[in-house]
Amino acid sequence: MSKLKWLLVLLPVLAAAPQFWAQSPSLAVELPPGPMKAKATTACAECHEARIILQQRLSSAAWTKEVDKMLKWGAVVDAKDRDELIEYFSANFGPEQPVYVPSRTSVDKRQK
Amino acid sequence: MTTRRNFVGTASGAVFAGALASAIGFHPLLAWAGETSLAIPGKDGMLVRSARFLDLEMPVEYAADWITPTHHFFVRNHMHEPSTLDPAEWKLSISGEVEKPYAISLAELSKLASHSVTNTLECAGNGRGLQNPKVPGVQWGKGAVGTGTFSGPQLRVLLERAGVKSAGKHVMFRGLDEVPGKVPPFIRSIPLEKAMDADTLVATHMNGAVLLKHHGFPARALVPGWIGAASCKWLTEIKVLDKEFEGNFMSPGYRMPNTAAKPGEAVKPENTHPVTALEVKSLITSLADGAALKGRAIAVHGMAWAGEADIARVEVSTDAGTTWKPARLGHDHAKYAWRQWTYAWQPQKPGAYVVLSRATDTRGRVQPDQPVWNPSGYLYNAIDQVKVHVEA
Repeated sequence: MSKLKWLLVLLPVLAAAPQFWAQSPSLAVELPPGPMKAKATTACAECHEARIILQQRLSSAAWTKEVDKMLKWGAVVDAKDRDELIEYFSANFGPEQPVYVPSRTSVDKRQK
Repeated sequence: MTTRRNFVGTASGAVFAGALASAIGFHPLLAWAGETSLAIPGKDGMLVRSARFLDLEMPVEYAADWITPTHHFFVRNHMHEPSTLDPAEWKLSISGEVEKPYAISLAELSKLASHSVTNTLECAGNGRGLQNPKVPGVQWGKGAVGTGTFSGPQLRVLLERAGVKSAGKHVMFRGLDEVPGKVPPFIRSIPLEKAMDADTLVATHMNGAVLLKHHGFPARALVPGWIGAASCKWLTEIKVLDKEFEGNFMSPGYRMPNTAAKPGEAVKPENTHPVTALEVKSLITSLADGAALKGRAIAVHGMAWAGEADIARVEVSTDAGTTWKPARLGHDHAKYAWRQWTYAWQPQKPGAYVVLSRATDTRGRVQPDQPVWNPSGYLYNAIDQVKVHVEA
Protein backbone atom coordinates (compact mmCIF):
# COMPACT_ATOMS: atom_id res chain seq x y z
CA MET A 1 0.00 0.00 0.00
CA SER A 2 1.33 3.42 -0.97
CA LYS A 3 1.96 6.20 1.54
CA LEU A 4 -0.96 8.15 0.08
CA LYS A 5 -3.32 5.23 0.55
CA TRP A 6 -2.17 4.80 4.14
CA LEU A 7 -2.83 8.47 4.72
CA LEU A 8 -6.34 8.11 3.29
CA VAL A 9 -7.00 5.18 5.61
CA LEU A 10 -5.61 6.99 8.64
CA LEU A 11 -7.26 10.38 8.08
CA PRO A 12 -10.71 9.44 9.38
CA VAL A 13 -9.10 7.70 12.36
CA LEU A 14 -7.07 10.84 13.18
CA ALA A 15 -10.18 12.97 12.72
CA ALA A 16 -12.06 10.68 15.07
CA ALA A 17 -9.51 10.87 17.87
CA PRO A 18 -10.48 14.26 19.34
CA GLN A 19 -14.15 13.40 18.83
CA PHE A 20 -13.67 10.17 20.72
CA TRP A 21 -12.18 11.97 23.71
CA ALA A 22 -14.76 14.72 23.55
CA GLN A 23 -17.37 12.00 24.01
CA SER A 24 -15.75 10.63 27.13
CA PRO A 25 -18.36 11.29 29.84
CA SER A 26 -15.79 12.34 32.41
CA LEU A 27 -14.61 15.10 30.07
CA ALA A 28 -18.03 16.05 28.79
CA VAL A 29 -19.47 17.49 32.00
CA GLU A 30 -17.82 19.05 35.03
CA LEU A 31 -18.91 20.29 38.41
CA PRO A 32 -19.18 24.10 38.70
CA PRO A 33 -16.23 26.24 39.78
CA GLY A 34 -15.61 26.81 43.46
CA PRO A 35 -13.11 26.01 46.18
CA MET A 36 -14.67 22.54 46.64
CA LYS A 37 -14.77 21.60 42.94
CA ALA A 38 -11.61 19.48 42.96
CA LYS A 39 -12.41 17.68 46.20
CA ALA A 40 -16.02 17.05 45.17
CA THR A 41 -14.89 15.70 41.80
CA THR A 42 -12.40 13.34 43.42
CA ALA A 43 -14.88 12.14 46.04
CA CYS A 44 -17.85 11.60 43.70
CA ALA A 45 -16.31 10.60 40.37
CA GLU A 46 -14.88 7.43 41.86
CA CYS A 47 -18.37 5.93 41.52
CA HIS A 48 -20.39 8.21 39.22
CA GLU A 49 -20.09 11.15 36.87
CA ALA A 50 -21.12 14.78 37.45
CA ARG A 51 -24.44 14.68 35.55
CA ILE A 52 -26.17 12.91 38.41
CA ILE A 53 -25.24 15.85 40.65
CA LEU A 54 -25.96 18.59 38.09
CA GLN A 55 -29.61 17.50 37.76
CA GLN A 56 -30.43 17.65 41.51
CA ARG A 57 -32.33 20.63 43.00
CA LEU A 58 -32.28 19.93 46.71
CA SER A 59 -32.60 21.84 49.97
CA SER A 60 -29.61 22.11 52.26
CA ALA A 61 -31.22 19.51 54.56
CA ALA A 62 -31.61 17.08 51.66
CA TRP A 63 -27.99 17.67 50.54
CA THR A 64 -26.83 16.93 54.08
CA LYS A 65 -28.60 13.56 53.96
CA GLU A 66 -27.18 12.78 50.52
CA VAL A 67 -23.60 13.66 51.44
CA ASP A 68 -23.79 11.62 54.65
CA LYS A 69 -25.24 8.66 52.71
CA MET A 70 -22.39 8.86 50.21
CA LEU A 71 -19.79 9.07 53.01
CA LYS A 72 -21.29 5.87 54.42
CA TRP A 73 -21.12 4.33 50.92
CA GLY A 74 -17.41 5.00 50.57
CA ALA A 75 -16.94 8.57 49.28
CA VAL A 76 -13.54 9.75 50.52
CA VAL A 77 -13.95 13.19 52.13
CA ASP A 78 -11.94 14.66 55.00
CA ALA A 79 -14.17 15.19 58.04
CA LYS A 80 -13.18 18.87 58.03
CA ASP A 81 -14.49 19.25 54.44
CA ARG A 82 -17.96 17.76 54.99
CA ASP A 83 -19.78 20.99 55.86
CA GLU A 84 -18.15 22.97 53.05
CA LEU A 85 -19.05 20.21 50.58
CA ILE A 86 -22.71 20.38 51.64
CA GLU A 87 -22.59 24.19 51.25
CA TYR A 88 -21.05 23.85 47.77
CA PHE A 89 -23.80 21.49 46.58
CA SER A 90 -26.57 23.49 48.27
CA ALA A 91 -25.38 26.76 46.73
CA ASN A 92 -25.07 25.31 43.21
CA PHE A 93 -27.91 22.80 43.13
CA GLY A 94 -30.69 24.21 45.28
CA PRO A 95 -34.47 24.05 44.65
CA GLU A 96 -34.41 27.39 42.78
CA GLN A 97 -31.94 26.23 40.14
CA PRO A 98 -33.36 25.90 36.61
CA VAL A 99 -34.30 22.44 35.40
CA TYR A 100 -31.28 20.54 34.06
CA VAL A 101 -31.51 19.97 30.31
CA PRO A 102 -29.94 16.62 29.41
CA SER A 103 -27.99 16.05 26.21
CA ARG A 104 -28.96 13.25 23.85
CA THR A 105 -27.06 10.21 22.66
CA SER A 106 -26.06 10.36 19.02
CA VAL A 107 -27.95 8.44 16.37
CA ASP A 108 -26.77 4.86 16.16
CA LYS A 109 -26.83 4.40 12.41
CA ARG A 110 -26.97 0.62 12.68
CA GLN A 111 -30.55 1.03 13.90
CA LYS A 112 -31.71 3.03 10.90
CA MET B 1 -24.20 -18.15 20.27
CA THR B 2 -22.21 -15.09 21.17
CA THR B 3 -18.73 -15.91 22.33
CA ARG B 4 -16.89 -13.86 24.91
CA ARG B 5 -14.56 -12.48 22.29
CA ASN B 6 -17.24 -11.20 19.98
CA PHE B 7 -19.38 -9.93 22.89
CA VAL B 8 -16.57 -7.76 24.21
CA GLY B 9 -15.35 -7.04 20.70
CA THR B 10 -18.76 -5.96 19.52
CA ALA B 11 -19.17 -3.56 22.42
CA SER B 12 -15.80 -1.85 22.19
CA GLY B 13 -15.78 -1.96 18.40
CA ALA B 14 -19.18 -0.32 18.29
CA VAL B 15 -18.05 2.50 20.57
CA PHE B 16 -15.20 3.23 18.21
CA ALA B 17 -17.34 2.76 15.11
CA GLY B 18 -19.92 5.15 16.56
CA ALA B 19 -17.28 7.75 17.30
CA LEU B 20 -15.83 7.29 13.84
CA ALA B 21 -19.18 7.52 12.10
CA SER B 22 -20.21 10.68 13.91
CA ALA B 23 -16.77 12.20 13.36
CA ILE B 24 -17.13 11.67 9.64
CA GLY B 25 -20.76 12.80 9.71
CA PHE B 26 -20.13 16.11 11.49
CA HIS B 27 -17.83 18.98 10.73
CA PRO B 28 -14.77 18.70 12.99
CA LEU B 29 -15.14 22.34 14.11
CA LEU B 30 -18.68 21.63 15.30
CA ALA B 31 -17.29 18.74 17.30
CA TRP B 32 -14.75 21.02 18.93
CA ALA B 33 -17.45 23.57 19.67
CA GLY B 34 -19.25 20.91 21.66
CA GLU B 35 -21.91 20.21 19.02
CA THR B 36 -21.67 16.53 19.62
CA SER B 37 -23.32 13.93 21.76
CA LEU B 38 -22.49 10.68 23.45
CA ALA B 39 -22.39 7.55 21.33
CA ILE B 40 -23.99 4.67 23.21
CA PRO B 41 -23.97 1.47 21.14
CA GLY B 42 -27.49 0.35 20.28
CA LYS B 43 -29.14 3.54 21.55
CA ASP B 44 -30.49 6.37 19.43
CA GLY B 45 -31.21 9.96 20.45
CA MET B 46 -31.85 9.12 24.09
CA LEU B 47 -31.76 11.68 26.92
CA VAL B 48 -28.60 11.17 28.97
CA ARG B 49 -29.57 11.30 32.63
CA SER B 50 -26.23 9.70 33.47
CA ALA B 51 -23.48 8.21 31.34
CA ARG B 52 -21.59 6.47 34.16
CA PHE B 53 -23.55 4.59 35.51
CA LEU B 54 -25.79 4.51 32.45
CA ASP B 55 -29.28 6.00 32.73
CA LEU B 56 -31.01 6.84 29.45
CA GLU B 57 -34.52 8.23 29.06
CA MET B 58 -36.74 7.89 26.01
CA PRO B 59 -37.95 11.28 24.73
CA VAL B 60 -41.76 10.83 24.92
CA GLU B 61 -42.26 11.75 21.28
CA TYR B 62 -40.48 8.46 20.42
CA ALA B 63 -43.37 6.49 21.94
CA ALA B 64 -45.25 6.06 18.68
CA ASP B 65 -45.31 2.28 18.24
CA TRP B 66 -46.99 -0.19 20.56
CA ILE B 67 -43.69 -2.05 20.88
CA THR B 68 -40.83 0.30 21.75
CA PRO B 69 -37.84 -0.37 19.49
CA THR B 70 -34.89 -1.50 21.60
CA HIS B 71 -32.80 1.49 20.46
CA HIS B 72 -35.43 3.75 22.08
CA PHE B 73 -35.93 1.67 25.22
CA PHE B 74 -34.92 3.39 28.46
CA VAL B 75 -31.94 2.13 30.46
CA ARG B 76 -31.77 2.29 34.26
CA ASN B 77 -28.55 1.04 35.85
CA HIS B 78 -27.94 1.46 39.57
CA MET B 79 -24.34 0.27 39.26
CA HIS B 80 -21.83 -0.30 36.51
CA GLU B 81 -22.56 -2.89 33.83
CA PRO B 82 -20.39 -6.03 34.06
CA SER B 83 -17.03 -5.14 32.47
CA THR B 84 -16.37 -8.73 31.42
CA LEU B 85 -18.98 -11.38 30.94
CA ASP B 86 -18.27 -14.70 29.28
CA PRO B 87 -21.54 -16.30 28.13
CA ALA B 88 -19.79 -19.68 27.84
CA GLU B 89 -18.75 -19.50 31.48
CA TRP B 90 -21.92 -17.79 32.75
CA LYS B 91 -24.09 -19.79 35.10
CA LEU B 92 -27.31 -19.10 36.96
CA SER B 93 -27.56 -20.71 40.40
CA ILE B 94 -30.82 -21.62 42.11
CA SER B 95 -30.42 -22.20 45.83
CA GLY B 96 -31.77 -21.38 49.30
CA GLU B 97 -35.00 -22.96 50.54
CA VAL B 98 -35.00 -25.67 47.85
CA GLU B 99 -34.62 -29.47 47.85
CA LYS B 100 -32.00 -29.65 45.07
CA PRO B 101 -29.90 -26.54 44.50
CA TYR B 102 -28.28 -26.41 41.05
CA ALA B 103 -26.68 -24.14 38.48
CA ILE B 104 -27.65 -23.88 34.84
CA SER B 105 -25.56 -22.73 31.87
CA LEU B 106 -26.79 -20.44 29.11
CA ALA B 107 -26.74 -23.37 26.66
CA GLU B 108 -28.97 -25.42 28.99
CA LEU B 109 -31.23 -22.45 29.68
CA SER B 110 -31.77 -21.90 25.97
CA LYS B 111 -33.02 -25.51 25.60
CA LEU B 112 -35.95 -24.88 27.96
CA ALA B 113 -39.33 -23.94 26.50
CA SER B 114 -39.40 -20.22 25.80
CA HIS B 115 -42.38 -18.12 26.84
CA SER B 116 -42.99 -14.56 25.59
CA VAL B 117 -44.58 -11.70 27.51
CA THR B 118 -45.23 -8.24 26.09
CA ASN B 119 -44.74 -5.99 29.07
CA THR B 120 -44.65 -2.30 29.80
CA LEU B 121 -41.55 -1.78 31.89
CA GLU B 122 -41.40 1.42 33.89
CA CYS B 123 -38.81 2.65 36.34
CA ALA B 124 -40.37 3.27 39.77
CA GLY B 125 -38.76 6.72 39.66
CA ASN B 126 -40.21 7.72 36.28
CA GLY B 127 -41.49 11.30 36.62
CA ARG B 128 -39.40 12.00 39.73
CA GLY B 129 -38.23 15.25 38.17
CA LEU B 130 -41.86 16.46 38.18
CA GLN B 131 -42.32 15.94 41.94
CA ASN B 132 -42.55 18.92 44.29
CA PRO B 133 -40.76 19.48 46.56
CA LYS B 134 -37.73 18.03 44.77
CA VAL B 135 -36.40 14.70 45.96
CA PRO B 136 -32.96 13.16 45.35
CA GLY B 137 -32.36 10.56 42.67
CA VAL B 138 -32.25 10.39 38.89
CA GLN B 139 -34.46 13.30 37.78
CA TRP B 140 -36.44 11.34 35.21
CA GLY B 141 -38.92 13.22 33.05
CA LYS B 142 -41.73 11.16 31.55
CA GLY B 143 -39.80 8.60 29.48
CA ALA B 144 -38.34 5.97 31.81
CA VAL B 145 -40.94 3.61 30.37
CA GLY B 146 -41.22 1.36 27.34
CA THR B 147 -42.98 -1.74 26.08
CA GLY B 148 -41.05 -4.78 24.90
CA THR B 149 -41.67 -8.43 24.17
CA PHE B 150 -39.47 -10.42 26.54
CA SER B 151 -38.79 -14.12 26.00
CA GLY B 152 -37.20 -16.91 27.97
CA PRO B 153 -38.06 -19.78 30.29
CA GLN B 154 -40.65 -19.31 33.00
CA LEU B 155 -39.02 -18.71 36.38
CA ARG B 156 -41.37 -21.28 37.91
CA VAL B 157 -39.92 -24.03 35.69
CA LEU B 158 -36.46 -23.29 37.12
CA LEU B 159 -37.85 -23.17 40.66
CA GLU B 160 -39.89 -26.37 40.28
CA ARG B 161 -36.78 -28.20 39.06
CA ALA B 162 -35.09 -27.21 42.37
CA GLY B 163 -38.16 -28.05 44.46
CA VAL B 164 -39.16 -25.10 46.64
CA LYS B 165 -39.47 -26.08 50.32
CA SER B 166 -42.55 -25.06 52.29
CA ALA B 167 -40.38 -22.52 54.15
CA GLY B 168 -39.76 -20.62 50.88
CA LYS B 169 -41.66 -17.32 50.81
CA HIS B 170 -39.56 -14.90 48.73
CA VAL B 171 -37.31 -15.21 45.70
CA MET B 172 -34.15 -13.12 45.64
CA PHE B 173 -32.30 -12.01 42.51
CA ARG B 174 -28.63 -11.04 42.34
CA GLY B 175 -27.04 -9.59 39.22
CA LEU B 176 -23.47 -9.25 38.00
CA ASP B 177 -23.44 -5.45 38.00
CA GLU B 178 -20.23 -4.05 39.48
CA VAL B 179 -20.68 -2.29 42.79
CA PRO B 180 -18.38 0.68 43.45
CA GLY B 181 -17.05 1.75 46.87
CA LYS B 182 -19.05 0.52 49.84
CA VAL B 183 -22.35 0.90 48.00
CA PRO B 184 -24.79 -1.87 48.98
CA PRO B 185 -25.27 -4.38 46.14
CA PHE B 186 -28.45 -4.18 44.08
CA ILE B 187 -30.23 -7.23 45.48
CA ARG B 188 -34.01 -7.43 45.82
CA SER B 189 -36.66 -10.11 46.28
CA ILE B 190 -40.22 -10.75 45.12
CA PRO B 191 -42.90 -12.84 46.87
CA LEU B 192 -42.95 -16.53 45.87
CA GLU B 193 -46.50 -16.17 44.50
CA LYS B 194 -45.34 -13.62 41.90
CA ALA B 195 -42.22 -15.68 41.14
CA MET B 196 -44.43 -18.71 40.37
CA ASP B 197 -46.74 -16.72 38.07
CA ALA B 198 -46.79 -18.17 34.54
CA ASP B 199 -45.70 -14.80 33.10
CA THR B 200 -42.66 -14.23 35.33
CA LEU B 201 -39.61 -15.07 33.24
CA VAL B 202 -35.87 -15.46 33.14
CA ALA B 203 -35.68 -13.52 29.89
CA THR B 204 -32.83 -14.00 27.45
CA HIS B 205 -34.40 -12.13 24.54
CA MET B 206 -36.07 -8.76 24.01
CA ASN B 207 -38.04 -7.82 20.89
CA GLY B 208 -36.84 -10.98 19.14
CA ALA B 209 -33.12 -10.44 19.67
CA VAL B 210 -30.60 -11.49 22.30
CA LEU B 211 -30.70 -9.00 25.20
CA LEU B 212 -28.41 -6.01 24.81
CA LYS B 213 -25.86 -5.69 27.57
CA HIS B 214 -27.66 -2.52 28.71
CA HIS B 215 -30.80 -4.62 29.21
CA GLY B 216 -29.17 -7.45 31.16
CA PHE B 217 -27.41 -9.86 28.79
CA PRO B 218 -27.31 -12.83 29.04
CA ALA B 219 -30.40 -13.14 31.24
CA ARG B 220 -32.64 -10.95 33.36
CA ALA B 221 -35.70 -11.43 35.50
CA LEU B 222 -38.93 -10.17 33.94
CA VAL B 223 -41.55 -9.50 36.60
CA PRO B 224 -44.47 -8.24 34.51
CA GLY B 225 -46.61 -5.33 35.65
CA TRP B 226 -44.16 -4.46 38.41
CA ILE B 227 -41.64 -1.64 38.74
CA GLY B 228 -38.52 -2.10 36.63
CA ALA B 229 -36.35 -2.63 39.72
CA ALA B 230 -38.05 -6.01 40.27
CA SER B 231 -36.65 -7.27 36.96
CA CYS B 232 -32.99 -7.76 37.95
CA LYS B 233 -30.47 -7.61 35.07
CA TRP B 234 -27.32 -9.71 34.44
CA LEU B 235 -28.92 -12.37 36.60
CA THR B 236 -26.47 -14.80 38.21
CA GLU B 237 -28.18 -15.99 41.40
CA ILE B 238 -31.74 -16.89 42.35
CA LYS B 239 -32.19 -17.73 46.00
CA VAL B 240 -35.38 -18.80 47.73
CA LEU B 241 -35.69 -17.10 51.13
CA ASP B 242 -37.99 -17.64 54.09
CA LYS B 243 -38.75 -13.91 54.18
CA GLU B 244 -38.31 -10.70 52.20
CA PHE B 245 -34.66 -9.93 51.44
CA GLU B 246 -33.16 -7.40 53.85
CA GLY B 247 -31.00 -4.86 52.08
CA ASN B 248 -30.84 -1.21 51.07
CA PHE B 249 -32.87 -1.68 47.88
CA MET B 250 -35.75 -3.33 49.78
CA SER B 251 -35.62 -0.92 52.73
CA PRO B 252 -35.27 2.04 52.92
CA GLY B 253 -35.21 1.85 49.11
CA TYR B 254 -38.37 1.24 47.03
CA ARG B 255 -40.97 1.79 49.72
CA MET B 256 -44.16 3.87 49.80
CA PRO B 257 -45.92 5.43 52.81
CA ASN B 258 -48.80 3.34 54.22
CA THR B 259 -50.87 6.48 54.74
CA ALA B 260 -50.89 9.72 52.78
CA ALA B 261 -47.98 12.03 53.61
CA LYS B 262 -47.96 15.79 53.06
CA PRO B 263 -45.53 16.95 50.37
CA GLY B 264 -42.07 17.24 51.95
CA GLU B 265 -43.06 15.29 55.06
CA ALA B 266 -40.67 12.62 56.41
CA VAL B 267 -42.05 9.08 56.61
CA LYS B 268 -40.99 6.56 59.27
CA PRO B 269 -39.65 3.28 57.82
CA GLU B 270 -42.16 1.25 59.86
CA ASN B 271 -44.99 3.15 58.13
CA THR B 272 -44.00 1.99 54.65
CA HIS B 273 -44.49 -0.98 52.33
CA PRO B 274 -42.52 -2.21 49.29
CA VAL B 275 -43.33 -0.79 45.85
CA THR B 276 -44.54 -3.65 43.65
CA ALA B 277 -47.02 -3.20 40.76
CA LEU B 278 -47.25 -0.08 38.63
CA GLU B 279 -50.04 2.49 38.98
CA VAL B 280 -52.62 3.60 36.41
CA LYS B 281 -51.05 6.21 34.15
CA SER B 282 -51.25 7.87 30.74
CA LEU B 283 -48.96 10.04 28.66
CA ILE B 284 -49.60 12.43 25.79
CA THR B 285 -46.88 11.56 23.29
CA SER B 286 -47.73 13.45 20.07
CA LEU B 287 -47.82 17.00 21.45
CA ALA B 288 -44.66 18.60 22.74
CA ASP B 289 -45.05 20.99 25.65
CA GLY B 290 -44.97 24.54 24.30
CA ALA B 291 -45.62 23.47 20.70
CA ALA B 292 -47.24 25.82 18.19
CA LEU B 293 -49.88 23.91 16.20
CA LYS B 294 -51.55 24.67 12.89
CA GLY B 295 -54.93 23.56 11.59
CA ARG B 296 -58.34 22.70 13.03
CA ALA B 297 -57.88 18.89 13.09
CA ILE B 298 -55.21 17.75 15.49
CA ALA B 299 -54.76 14.08 16.32
CA VAL B 300 -53.66 13.68 19.94
CA HIS B 301 -51.91 10.35 20.55
CA GLY B 302 -50.66 8.74 23.70
CA MET B 303 -50.15 5.62 25.79
CA ALA B 304 -51.88 4.34 28.91
CA TRP B 305 -50.97 1.48 31.25
CA ALA B 306 -51.89 0.10 34.65
CA GLY B 307 -49.35 -2.53 35.75
CA GLU B 308 -51.21 -5.74 36.48
CA ALA B 309 -54.60 -4.22 35.59
CA ASP B 310 -56.14 -3.33 32.22
CA ILE B 311 -56.91 0.12 30.95
CA ALA B 312 -60.67 0.72 30.96
CA ARG B 313 -60.65 4.16 29.36
CA VAL B 314 -58.64 7.28 28.61
CA GLU B 315 -60.21 10.73 28.60
CA VAL B 316 -58.82 13.94 27.17
CA SER B 317 -59.49 17.51 28.22
CA THR B 318 -58.53 20.47 26.06
CA ASP B 319 -59.88 23.09 28.48
CA ALA B 320 -57.57 22.49 31.47
CA GLY B 321 -59.85 19.85 33.01
CA THR B 322 -63.29 21.51 32.84
CA THR B 323 -64.70 18.97 30.39
CA TRP B 324 -63.45 15.49 29.37
CA LYS B 325 -63.99 13.53 26.16
CA PRO B 326 -63.27 9.83 25.60
CA ALA B 327 -60.19 8.84 23.59
CA ARG B 328 -60.24 5.80 21.28
CA LEU B 329 -58.09 2.91 22.49
CA GLY B 330 -55.78 1.14 20.02
CA HIS B 331 -56.28 -2.47 18.92
CA ASP B 332 -52.94 -3.84 20.17
CA HIS B 333 -53.50 -5.34 23.57
CA ALA B 334 -51.63 -7.64 25.96
CA LYS B 335 -52.15 -8.33 29.65
CA TYR B 336 -49.23 -6.25 30.94
CA ALA B 337 -48.75 -3.86 28.04
CA TRP B 338 -49.77 -0.27 27.51
CA ARG B 339 -52.64 0.70 25.20
CA GLN B 340 -52.23 3.29 22.51
CA TRP B 341 -54.95 5.92 22.42
CA THR B 342 -56.05 8.67 20.03
CA TYR B 343 -58.27 11.69 20.35
CA ALA B 344 -59.38 13.70 17.30
CA TRP B 345 -59.20 17.25 18.54
CA GLN B 346 -60.87 20.05 16.60
CA PRO B 347 -59.96 23.32 18.26
CA GLN B 348 -62.61 25.91 17.46
CA LYS B 349 -60.38 28.96 17.68
CA PRO B 350 -56.73 29.90 17.94
CA GLY B 351 -55.17 30.45 21.33
CA ALA B 352 -53.41 28.83 24.27
CA TYR B 353 -54.67 25.41 25.39
CA VAL B 354 -53.86 23.04 28.24
CA VAL B 355 -54.34 19.46 27.02
CA LEU B 356 -54.74 16.75 29.67
CA SER B 357 -55.02 12.95 29.57
CA ARG B 358 -56.53 10.83 32.34
CA ALA B 359 -56.58 7.02 32.42
CA THR B 360 -58.92 4.76 34.40
CA ASP B 361 -58.22 1.04 34.87
CA THR B 362 -60.46 -2.01 35.26
CA ARG B 363 -59.99 -1.87 39.03
CA GLY B 364 -61.49 1.61 39.11
CA ARG B 365 -58.20 3.39 39.75
CA VAL B 366 -58.10 6.85 38.17
CA GLN B 367 -55.06 9.02 37.51
CA PRO B 368 -55.03 11.67 40.25
CA ASP B 369 -54.67 15.45 39.85
CA GLN B 370 -51.63 15.35 42.12
CA PRO B 371 -49.08 12.54 42.52
CA VAL B 372 -48.94 10.59 45.78
CA TRP B 373 -46.07 12.29 47.56
CA ASN B 374 -43.29 10.11 48.96
CA PRO B 375 -39.71 10.96 49.96
CA SER B 376 -38.12 9.11 47.01
CA GLY B 377 -40.51 10.25 44.30
CA TYR B 378 -41.76 6.81 43.24
CA LEU B 379 -44.79 6.02 41.07
CA TYR B 380 -45.50 9.54 39.77
CA ASN B 381 -48.80 9.19 37.95
CA ALA B 382 -50.54 12.57 37.98
CA ILE B 383 -52.82 13.43 35.04
CA ASP B 384 -50.54 14.25 32.11
CA GLN B 385 -50.46 17.78 30.85
CA VAL B 386 -49.07 19.68 27.86
CA LYS B 387 -49.48 23.35 27.04
CA VAL B 388 -49.79 24.18 23.35
CA HIS B 389 -50.67 27.16 21.21
CA VAL B 390 -53.06 26.79 18.28
CA GLU B 391 -52.18 29.34 15.63
CA ALA B 392 -54.66 31.35 13.60
